[in-house]
Amino acid sequence: MAAATPPPEEAPSASSTAIISPLPTFKPDLFQRAWTSVPHPILPLLATTHAKSVTVFSLATFSKHSALTGGHSRSVRTATWQPGMTPPRLVTGSFDATAGLWSWSGGNATSEKLEREVTLSSTEGGDGDEKEEEEDDWTFNLVLEGHESEVKGVAFSPTGQYLATCSRDKTVWIWEDVGIADGEGEDEWETVAVLSEHDGDVKAVAWCPDVPGRNSRSGGGRSYSSDVLASASYDNTVRIWREDSDGEWVCVAVLEGHDGTVWGLEWETKPREGDKFPRLLTYSADATIRIWTLRDEADDEEEGGPKGGGDGANYAGFGGIPNTMRRSLREDWDCTAVLPQAHTRDIYSVAWSTATGLVASTGSDGIIALYGENAPTAAATSEEAPLEASAKAAAKGWQLLATVSNGHGPYEINHVTWCKRYDLGTERKGEEEMLVTTGDDGIVRPWQVRIP
Amino acid sequence: MQKSELDNANPTILNVSELPSRRRTGGTARHGPDSKYDHIVFQKQVWPGISSRAVSSWPSDEEEDDDDDTPIEEPIDEQEIYDLISTISDPEHPHTLGQLSVVRLPDIHVTRPANAWSDPQSLTTVLVELTPTINHCSLATVIGLAVRCRLEQALPPSYRVDVRMKDGSHAQDDQVNKQLKDKERVAAALENDTLRSVLDKMLETCA
Repeated sequence: MAAATPPPEEAPSASSTAIISPLPTFKPDLFQRAWTSVPHPILPLLATTHAKSVTVFSLATFSKHSALTGGHSRSVRTATWQPGMTPPRLVTGSFDATAGLWSWSGGNATSEKLEREVTLSSTEGGDGDEKEEEEDDWTFNLVLEGHESEVKGVAFSPTGQYLATCSRDKTVWIWEDVGIADGEGEDEWETVAVLSEHDGDVKAVAWCPDVPGRNSRSGGGRSYSSDVLASASYDNTVRIWREDSDGEWVCVAVLEGHDGTVWGLEWETKPREGDKFPRLLTYSADATIRIWTLRDEADDEEEGGPKGGGDGANYAGFGGIPNTMRRSLREDWDCTAVLPQAHTRDIYSVAWSTATGLVASTGSDGIIALYGENAPTAAATSEEAPLEASAKAAAKGWQLLATVSNGHGPYEINHVTWCKRYDLGTERKGEEEMLVTTGDDGIVRPWQVRIP
Repeated sequence: MQKSELDNANPTILNVSELPSRRRTGGTARHGPDSKYDHIVFQKQVWPGISSRAVSSWPSDEEEDDDDDTPIEEPIDEQEIYDLISTISDPEHPHTLGQLSVVRLPDIHVTRPANAWSDPQSLTTVLVELTPTINHCSLATVIGLAVRCRLEQALPPSYRVDVRMKDGSHAQDDQVNKQLKDKERVAAALENDTLRSVLDKMLETCA
């Protein structure tokens, strides 16, 4: 290949303040479009969805650990690990309109084999015998049926009690793991809610993380349960959903601002100063990344009070919310930042680091971009700029730290995630974070990120 | 398609000999002003990705093939794109998209970045604007899908294909365009057996 010279993208450009460099790819290559790679919350495992299956890679050896096959009749688009489960459980969402629940069943060796990955990391390399048995390692426990067309996103609430799924059929379904609740460990799931207010495919769902700030708004006479769900749609909007005191899931906010399909969203998982409510990041076919902030209640009061105010005026600028929605459940979300422009085409994926607060994005243009938020200035610390007019000013709060072009050669990149390192190359095993990108070329590539 | 009535029972049909081809136009007349200097700029273009997966291994961990004998190919131009898609059959008429003028050479635009000659990985954008035979043609999405499908199969991976309805040519432009632009929807559509068989039939006539 003519490109024998080292790719210039690896070298930081003049304005770059961080270095993103490629690590050896996960093996084997998948040789077909891979959609997404999801790291296990605790174990050194990474689940990559491609075609009708999922390949689980070891983060210790960057090689194949096991595979989930035979559960779906069409492509597996997405997957998520159920938190707090031993042995591990994975939920897959497929174009065949179902979600599948899988559990690790690699015999009694379950924890043994998994732990060995952790403790021995890559010392022995091969272990070919076990790989031959991989087909038995995962059991397809349960299929969740209900959606009318492709399932595009799946996500667990922080406790693992609720699972949200979303689909091209414009709905979001919330399922409850009843088996967990009654403690019998039986696989029993119930449909808790079907949310159908979006006007187009629902591309992704995400639950607000259980950080201290999550409950900062539960006072003030409001009566939500603590779980908060956000959904992103082909209708260019994002919706926020909460459960009211009657156990009904209702839409409490519509976030309008993107000029194209909203491909996905990420909650801020790093606790905020002063335990403020987590912010929400959204990314879109319009090639922008926006950050949204829940308006402080103090600001609500200034606007005429959240309770008993004139009905009509308060709905202004709040398009799409049905009249039946109760005033008391409304939340005001403002776009408080648009990240610096780094992409020219659809942004398919963005990851927001829990550890560092750094944001990485990727998409159709094959670019991987890294952004950091400037430390707030003295003036800005007290109050997040709440008004739309100040969104531009707030953009100054974020800067582009680095970009890599052609991250997967000429191919589109479908997914990026932050991921803890467990390989021999790191000195801070289980702490140092790397990026992992997943592309149309069927390659899953880890990247080292250095901030000088 | 088991449609009892055709959406447009009487479309205008061009004779095959009337269709634009490299032979008749002599290779230069088809270029718009945008590509006037292409023969200078892109003269020795190398496309390493055209027939191999070699590029997919970039950045290569082990071996770095120095100048291997990659054939030097001319850059793909509008005429070539036209040749790839004009032979697709219409889903309801026994004619090709070229004959029905659904695909027109002047509505194909190839955009290369300025550094295309030095960076073989840089992305080239192909924009195809389709003109359905009548403005409420319900099969516009299927035709668009066939065009996108054909080009994605035939072109190197560094090509990004955008298929749109030509402005004002179709009643639900925005809706169709958005659908055709949506990678996830396109991928799912191609897994639909019924649709797949329609597309396969349309693409049968492609060389």
